Amino acid sequence: MSAPEATPAGQRPGITLRCRPADVVELAAVRDRVQVLKALARRRGLQLPDLGHVVANASTLVLGVRPERWLLITPPEAPGTAADTWQSACVGCGIAVDLSSALTALEVAGPEVRALLARGCRLDLDPGAFPSGLAAATIMAQVPVILAALTAGVLLLTPASTARHFREWLSAAAQPFGLLPDGDATVAPVSADALT
Amino acid sequence: MPGPARIAQGLLTDASSSVGFRFDGRMLRGLAGDTLASALLANGVRLVGRSFKYHRPRGIVTAGPEEPCALVDVLGPRGREPNRPATTLALHEGLVAESQNRWPSLTFDVLAFNDLLGRFLPAGFYYKTFMAPGWAWERVYEPLIRRAAGLGRLEPIVPAHADPAETVHDHADVLVVGAGAAGLAAADHLGACGLRVILAEQDVVAGGGTLLDERWRSWRERLCAALAARPAVRTLTGTTVLGAYGHGVFGALEVLPGAAAARFGVRERLRVIRARRTLLATGALERLIAFPGNDLPGVMLAGAALAYLRRYGVAAGRRPAFFLNNDEAYESVFALTAAGIECAGVIDPRSSSRAAERTRTLGIPMHVGAVVGGVAGRREVRAVSIDELDGRRRFMLATDTLLVSGGHTPATALASQLGATLEWQGSLAAFTPDLASGAGRVAGAAHGVFGLAAAARDGAAVARALAADLGRGADASDIPEPPPDSAVTPLRELWEVRAPGKPGKAFVDLQNDVTAADVRLACREGYEHLEHMKRFTTHGMATDQGRIAGLLGSAVLAEARGVPLSEVGVLRPRPFAQPVPFAALAGGEVREHYRPKRRLPLHDWHESAGATFVSTGLWLRPLVYSRQGGWPAVLDEARAVRERVGITDVSTLGKIDVQGADAARFLDFIYANTFATLPVGRSRYGIMLREDGMAFDDGTTSRLGPQHFLVTTTTANSVAVLEHMEFHLQSVFPELDVLLTDVGDQWAQFAIAGPNAREVVSAVVSGIDLGTAAFPFMSAGAATIAGAPGRIFRISFSGELAYEVAVPAKQALPAWSALLAAGERFGIRAYGLDALNTLRIEKGHLTTAELNGNTTAGDLGLQRLIKKQGDFVGRTLAQRPGLTAPERLQLVGIRPVERTRRLRNGMQLVAPQAREASLGYVTSSTPSVEFDGWVGLALLSGGRERHGQRLIGLSPLHNEATEVQVLSPHMLDPENNRVRA
Repeated sequence: MSAPEATPAGQRPGITLRCRPADVVELAAVRDRVQVLKALARRRGLQLPDLGHVVANASTLVLGVRPERWLLITPPEAPGTAADTWQSACVGCGIAVDLSSALTALEVAGPEVRALLARGCRLDLDPGAFPSGLAAATIMAQVPVILAALTAGVLLLTPASTARHFREWLSAAAQPFGLLPDGDATVAPVSADALT
Repeated sequence: MPGPARIAQGLLTDASSSVGFRFDGRMLRGLAGDTLASALLANGVRLVGRSFKYHRPRGIVTAGPEEPCALVDVLGPRGREPNRPATTLALHEGLVAESQNRWPSLTFDVLAFNDLLGRFLPAGFYYKTFMAPGWAWERVYEPLIRRAAGLGRLEPIVPAHADPAETVHDHADVLVVGAGAAGLAAADHLGACGLRVILAEQDVVAGGGTLLDERWRSWRERLCAALAARPAVRTLTGTTVLGAYGHGVFGALEVLPGAAAARFGVRERLRVIRARRTLLATGALERLIAFPGNDLPGVMLAGAALAYLRRYGVAAGRRPAFFLNNDEAYESVFALTAAGIECAGVIDPRSSSRAAERTRTLGIPMHVGAVVGGVAGRREVRAVSIDELDGRRRFMLATDTLLVSGGHTPATALASQLGATLEWQGSLAAFTPDLASGAGRVAGAAHGVFGLAAAARDGAAVARALAADLGRGADASDIPEPPPDSAVTPLRELWEVRAPGKPGKAFVDLQNDVTAADVRLACREGYEHLEHMKRFTTHGMATDQGRIAGLLGSAVLAEARGVPLSEVGVLRPRPFAQPVPFAALAGGEVREHYRPKRRLPLHDWHESAGATFVSTGLWLRPLVYSRQGGWPAVLDEARAVRERVGITDVSTLGKIDVQGADAARFLDFIYANTFATLPVGRSRYGIMLREDGMAFDDGTTSRLGPQHFLVTTTTANSVAVLEHMEFHLQSVFPELDVLLTDVGDQWAQFAIAGPNAREVVSAVVSGIDLGTAAFPFMSAGAATIAGAPGRIFRISFSGELAYEVAVPAKQALPAWSALLAAGERFGIRAYGLDALNTLRIEKGHLTTAELNGNTTAGDLGLQRLIKKQGDFVGRTLAQRPGLTAPERLQLVGIRPVERTRRLRNGMQLVAPQAREASLGYVTSSTPSVEFDGWVGLALLSGGRERHGQRLIGLSPLHNEATEVQVLSPHMLDPENNRVRA
């Protein structure tokens, strides 16, 4: 059922909204070298998914929302470390650009999450049409958003400069569903258990 | 039960829940579940408004959103809301409604004398009469006409008046529009096939015509229960599909019931529905017949009277007469009689029919082969004239209510929007839609299948075909057998009762006061095409979109033209199908969510430092670090840079990472100057042109590695430049090995400028030698900045010795704080956009004020940068004579001759002897910290040849004429000694 209607607001919050501090590296294949890059990633224990998909490999979530480019999302480390590691590993077949500061990761979850996202997202997020394991780039609240359906909820990546605007919009839209305020206590790093 | 006309238990009303409301100041009571219209009728209120043009008394004509007359103002906490149809306005405790278009009162309306002048006010009267003198139109005629005409009053729009709304996006395999017999059966079938279905119903409950027939109750309840049990089917009541927009996109307006409205804090919700297929089961609307006096309160459509009885238990009249040309409409006669209402008689132009026979057996006077030739009564119906078909009067029949049916018109608006062709069906006297099945299918009365059982069967059959289109065959649907339809005698086509010589206007469009005579006049005056007739007479316009009489207007026109109705057609329906509040269209994107704000990584720091922010594009940037603003604060900041050191946040600049074996080749194509020769570790100023040869953007590009460049763009063009580059990479040079990545948000970037800049930066940066020999002007390199891996560039926008440092945005605050701490002993100042502007104007650097889309590289003095060999975007068209003419506006510097005078942006520059001819204009200006008085940049015709000339700067808005001197734009340090220090 698409954009399910909200169940009456009860004690249980319909939406939880969490900040997901994470490092983000964009891995792009050099022209005609995508198979080499995929093989290299495989040797390093990373499956680079097809376009429109997200996969979890150990502690890395990998999203494919642009042709021959992947976003690697990992728990935060010292600035630039993840990108540098990949950059030196994939010389000749790919480039790795650090986008840890460029993208802000949020995770929304809860029984009403699809009803919430239907307030801004034009994509069909019905579990039948957009099951866990799919990812897409779209626009919500007039700003670019990359979203990935995880088992636990939906991961949203939005440009850092519009992250506050997006989050304010998301929080306002979530109010009627019952929003769990996300104190620091609920902040957890991204990990592979997000996608099973 | 409240109200003298409440004679039965209604399907929707709760007899135990009385609701108080006010109409025109009168305190009345209705029932929960009532509409305002049903509650007014229950209380015997028949006169509810005055008409648009003639101010004639008007009553309630329909029981739905197609209502042309019963429009009211609703007074709520958010002010006055005009033109709400009383027929769909849900009654609630405390509702305050007022009638429209009357003064001083509904019963005594001064402008009702318009009606007496009616014969002098035909269609097009205004256009013909108020032609001269020309000046009087705006000052006299229009204000007067505006006061006299129109319906509701729109109060001044203030934000608080807008009800909050929201937008929701929905998806389905099939959107079924209309939950009558056909729609319910279709939705159930589609749901049983495993398809995701949205069933949208404009009414507050599902059922459509089945709600008006008690025999259908159990069928309807079983179907609704079955649908509710199917998780893949969603029934949206109170949801009107407003428009079909192609590619399976539909707009729908949902009016939320009280509890949902309270929970979501919105009254209306715009649903954008994307469906693979659509099934239109939009039913048919009963239509009016034109006859003299057919607008008097008490004249109502027969089906509406049935709806008021069944839905609300309200009798539309005490002793109604009927004027019917079809058997379907007789259901109202039988229902009202069964409810104990005495019927005055039934007038039917047919000589006999099955329904008429049944009527006779009930003892109701039947007048066959007759028509209604007129209505007597001043403010409501008192009697009707029963005439022969040839116009001779038989007799007057006393009655308080005339219930009319001229047949039923399939509701084809959505089908037409989807591209349906309309075919004339003589047996129905109506057009039915023929829709290419790829777009969707039409079922039930909407394509001429009348009778509830027939419609239900048709709905299931069409659903079966549609499911097959979508590759679904299996049907587990268990639709109960519907009650049988009664056999009917075909209708007799009757549009207008012509009563030549008899008084009274025969209306075609009640809402716009368009009479049959107006339609004929339009035809005589040459407006023969239906769409021309519409524009001449206003037929079919406004809130009801002529839904009950659109076809009637076509019929009168066809007769006037002497052509078949099928040749005239119907008015082209466009979205929206009914009025939509702007607030609903805006959805949640209002107030603080009206447009996104882009915030700097250090936004909070700037705020706590007292910055006044300015919006540049979507960005919020610190203008000056002072809440009061003003030039002294700006000049303090600028002076700190010139004299000591300042720091400013330039993170808004666009930054594009360009990597790959062909990166240099690609940049050489994108930019008008050369980057292939740029050594690693160096930066170069670049200018890019548009395809048409005009200057597009400028900025510095740094080579970070043999195959790695970092392009910076102006803040304003950051998105456009990235798109421009991606476009050329993907479509012009797809063979190049280049990867572009937007890193604008990744890097926070700060400019540290001033004589002490090196000392400040050196204290914070490690891993790099910043000495002039090792790191000269226009150098770039990686460095550790306040412990974070960053980049440093020796570039200057201010004309001073300057560095720009970049750190990952998450490390912005430690880096900024470290720089401030290091600069403390030099008296470092943070400076905002205004001071930045002052500094760059003095130096003659460009912003979007000069890179305004109308300037060439040559105009801006950048011709020497343009490479002589090799192709690049804009090269050919930049050589057009018009773009190289010496008299083009060229960039110059200017200063007032009298140093105490100020400059203004936009000042026109003229020669002292020829003030009427502009030679150019001031693009940027500022009080100077380097020079005495104001300085500015201007675009001046042949400007480079005018250095030293004196011109006049005119600002007519300020009534100022200032003598100015033309100079080189490089006013400050033209030898660039400071930046190389």
